[in-house]
Amino acid sequence: MLAYLIRRLLWLPVLLIIVSFITFALGYYGPADPIAALLGQHYDPEIAARLAHEYGFDQPFLVQYVKYLGRIIRLDFGESIKYRNQPVSRLLLPRLLVTIQLNAVASFIGVLLGVSLGVIAALKRGKATDRVVVSGVVFGRAIPVFVAGPILLFLFARTIPVLPPGGWDGIFSRSAILPVLLLAIGPLAIFARQTRAGMLEVMGRDYIRTARAKGMREMGVVTAHALRNAFIPLLTILGFLLGSLVEGTFLTETIFGIPGMGQFAFEALGGRDYPVIIAVTLLVAVAYALGNLFVDLAYGFVDPRIRQA
Amino acid sequence: MSKDSRWIPLIAVVLLVCLGAICVLGVVGGTSFLGRLTGTEEATSPEGGARSSEPDAAPQAATPEAAESPEDEAEEAPPPAPSADGQVLTVPGGDPPTLDPHLSGDATSAEYVVEIFSGLVTFDRDLNIVPDLAESWEVSDDGTVYTFHLREDARFHNGKPVRAQDFKWSIERACDFRTRSITADTYLGDVIGCRDRLRDNADEVEGVQVIDDHTLEITIDQPRVYFLSTLTYPTAYVLDQENVERGGRTWTDNPNGTGPFELAEFRFGEIIALERNEDYYREPMPQLERIDFVLTGGSRMVMYEQGELDMTPVGLNDIERVTDPTNPLSEELNSIDSMGIFYIGLNNNQPPFDDEKVRQAFNHALDRQRIIDVVYKETVPVAWGIVPPSMPDYENPDLKPLEYDPDKALELIAESKYGDVSEFPDITFHVLGAGGATGRIIEAIVASYEENLGVQVDVQQTDWATFLGDLNRTENPNQMWGGEAGWIADYPDPHDFLDILFRCDSTQNHTGYCNPEVDELLDQAAVEYDEEKREALYRQVEQTVVEEAAWVPLFFGVDDWLIKPYVKDAYLPPMVIPKYQYYSVEP
Repeated sequence: MLAYLIRRLLWLPVLLIIVSFITFALGYYGPADPIAALLGQHYDPEIAARLAHEYGFDQPFLVQYVKYLGRIIRLDFGESIKYRNQPVSRLLLPRLLVTIQLNAVASFIGVLLGVSLGVIAALKRGKATDRVVVSGVVFGRAIPVFVAGPILLFLFARTIPVLPPGGWDGIFSRSAILPVLLLAIGPLAIFARQTRAGMLEVMGRDYIRTARAKGMREMGVVTAHALRNAFIPLLTILGFLLGSLVEGTFLTETIFGIPGMGQFAFEALGGRDYPVIIAVTLLVAVAYALGNLFVDLAYGFVDPRIRQA
Repeated sequence: MSKDSRWIPLIAVVLLVCLGAICVLGVVGGTSFLGRLTGTEEATSPEGGARSSEPDAAPQAATPEAAESPEDEAEEAPPPAPSADGQVLTVPGGDPPTLDPHLSGDATSAEYVVEIFSGLVTFDRDLNIVPDLAESWEVSDDGTVYTFHLREDARFHNGKPVRAQDFKWSIERACDFRTRSITADTYLGDVIGCRDRLRDNADEVEGVQVIDDHTLEITIDQPRVYFLSTLTYPTAYVLDQENVERGGRTWTDNPNGTGPFELAEFRFGEIIALERNEDYYREPMPQLERIDFVLTGGSRMVMYEQGELDMTPVGLNDIERVTDPTNPLSEELNSIDSMGIFYIGLNNNQPPFDDEKVRQAFNHALDRQRIIDVVYKETVPVAWGIVPPSMPDYENPDLKPLEYDPDKALELIAESKYGDVSEFPDITFHVLGAGGATGRIIEAIVASYEENLGVQVDVQQTDWATFLGDLNRTENPNQMWGGEAGWIADYPDPHDFLDILFRCDSTQNHTGYCNPEVDELLDQAAVEYDEEKREALYRQVEQTVVEEAAWVPLFFGVDDWLIKPYVKDAYLPPMVIPKYQYYSVEP
C-alpha cells in the first residue's frame, strides 16, 4: 500500500510538468499577448518591445519555459502582469480560501443530503417519496445557475429582503447562504441519483437476500451490505468533488459578487495574465490528482479485491 | 462478511471527517483572514473591470450587471435606509491593477491613485489646469523651460515635507525602464532626458533640475501647448523615495502619498477604504472622513436601492426604468458626458474601404440618430464629429456631418472604383465579445448596411486582448471594427483625439488614414499658443477627417449614476481626476 502511494505521488511532478508545458505553449502560441492587453490604448511598439524584454517575453519558448519551471520548483509563481508587481501567490491565496470554504461547505451539504435522499428514494422505490426525490433532483439540476441565482436573489434579497444581495462576509455570514445552496445543488443531485441507482442495483443481489434470510435487521442490511457496495461508484465522483474544491465557479461568483477563484481566473484569461493562468491551472491539476489518489486509496479500503490487484 | 462490514461506518466517517476537516480548515483560515471585515457593506457588481479599467468598453452596454438584473421589472424600491452615518461615503469600486501612480495606466487604478497622491498641477471642476503641489510657475519665452515654485506647506501623509528633490527622484523613477511604466513615454516623454533613460542610456533625467528645495525646473524638447496637462497624469506624481525603496515591490501596501485621502484599508476583491488626510494642503479641503470602495460584486442596483451603496452607475438594462419620470429613482439620476467616442473603424488600406467614396457611403447609409436613440434609449448623444461635447474650450458648431442619406450612399458607391457592391470583397466586422449575442447596436448596424446598401457584413467577435492585439499590429488585419469599442480621453485636449488618432504615423491611428494636409494643420496646432487660432485649426482637421470618412463615428460616451440625495456636491468628472474632496454627506 505504501509503495503504491509513493509510486502514485512520484507521478505527480510528471503530471505537473505536462500540464504546465501545455498551458505555457498555449499561452505562447495563442493569439494576443499580455503586453498588448496591459498597454490597452497606450500601445506603442517601442514601449511594448521594451516591456516584453523586461518580462523576458522576447526569449525563445524553451528558455522561457525552463526558467519558469526553475521558479516553480522553488514555489515562486512569479508576478502578475495585470496586477503589476504583485506576486501571484499573494493574489491567489485570499481567493483560494474563499473558494475552498464555499465549495467545501456546499459539497458537504450536497453529499450528505444527496446520499440520504438517494437511500430513501431507493428504499421507497416507485412510491411517491421516490418520485418527489427523483423529479426534484432532476428539476434542481436542470435550472442553470444564471437563472436560479437571480431568482433566489430576487426572492430573498429584494421581495423579502432577509438576505444581502451579494458580497462576501465569510462563510458564517448571511451572504454565504444563497451561494452555498446553489453550489450544493450540483453534488446533491449527482449523489442522490448515483446513490439511488447503486442501491437499487445492490438491493437485488443475492447477498442481500442472504443477509435478510439469516435474519439481519433491515437497517443493518442497508448500511452494512447495500450502502457499502453502492458506495464504490460514488467514490469516483467524490474524487472529482475533492479536486473541484479549488475550482472557482465563475457564474455563481459573478452573480453573488464573491471574490473567489472563478472571477479571478476569468479575468486573468481576459488579460492574458499568464503567470496567474498557469498557477491556477497547476493548482487545479494538483487538486484533481490528489482527489483521484484519495479515491484510489479509498477503493482499496472499500473493496478488498482492488487492494490485492 | 462480518469483517468487511466493519469498514462501512469507518469509511463513511473517514469521508465525512475529511470533508469536515476541509471545511473547518477553510473556515478557520478564512475567518482569521477575513475576520477583519466587520462592516455591513457587502457588494457591487464587478463592473470596474468591464467599464472603467478598459477605456474602450461601451458605456452601459458592457456591464456584466446586464446579465443578472432580475429586478428590472420591479417598479418600486424598498424605502432607502441611509447608510451614511457621519461623513462616510460608500461607493462601488473595482480591484485596481496597481496603486503605484507611475505604473497605473487604466481608469480603475487611477480612480484611487488620484485621491491618494498628487502632482505639480491638476484640473479643477471645469478641467482648467490649476496649481496643486506647485503654487505657481513660469514658462520661458521659447516655451521650453518651466520653473515650478512648490508650496512650502505641503507634506506627505507621514508629515515629511515635499521638496523639489522628491519630484526629481519621482520623475527619474517613472522614466526608469526598470519601473516598467506604460505611460512614461506618453506623459513624460517630452521632458529632456526621459526617453533616454527609458531606453537605458541615462542615469539621470537632465530636463529636471532642482534649483532649491522648493523650486523645480523642467525643460522640454520643444514648445508644447499641452505640456502642463500631461503633468496632471499620475505618471508625473510625486512619491516618497524612502517609502518606495523600503516597501520593495509591494510598497503600495502602505503608500505615503500627498493627496487629499490616505489609504486606510485594502483587501483584494473586498474593500478599499480611504481616510481623510487631515493635513491636506489645499482648498477644497476634503469633507468626507472616509470613503469605502466596495470591491465585491453582486447586483449594485439592488444594493443601492437597499441603501447599502450611496452611489451606483446605471447599466443599460436599468436605464429605461430609472429614467421613467414616475419612478422616484429618476430624481436621483445624474448623467455626465464622459470624454469618449465610440465608432466604427474602417481600414483605409483594405478594400473596399481604401476608396474614400465607399467610406462616405458607409457613413451615409447608417441612420445613426434613430439607431442610437433606440438602442441607448435616448441617453447618449450621436457623434457627428470626433471631439466629444464635454471637451473644454472646444466646439465645432459649423461641422458638416455625413448625414443619413441612403440614396447618396448608393450614388457614392456607383461613383467609387468598385462601381457596385457586388464588386466588394467580403466584409468582416470585428467586435468585442466572447461568443454570446452581439450588442443590439451591432445588430442594427449590420441590418442597416444590408437594407440600405445591400451589403452583407459578417460579424466576428474577439475577446478584448485579441481585439487590442490585432489593432496594434503593424498592419492592422481588421477591415472594419469597433461599434461598442472606442476611445476615451487621456487628457482634455482636442490633440488627444485629432492628433493621436488621425496623424499619419501615430501608433494609435489604426485606420491607416493619412492626409499630409491634416498633418500639416496638426503640426501648426501643436505649437499654436493662441487659443482661438488653435481651436480653428482643430475644427478644420475635424471637418476634413469627418468628410474623408476615416471612421463612422457613432456616439459619445455618457455615464449615468444614481446618487442618494444626502450626498452633497457630488461631482462626476468626464475623466478620472481627483473628485472626492468636493463631496460631503448630509448627516
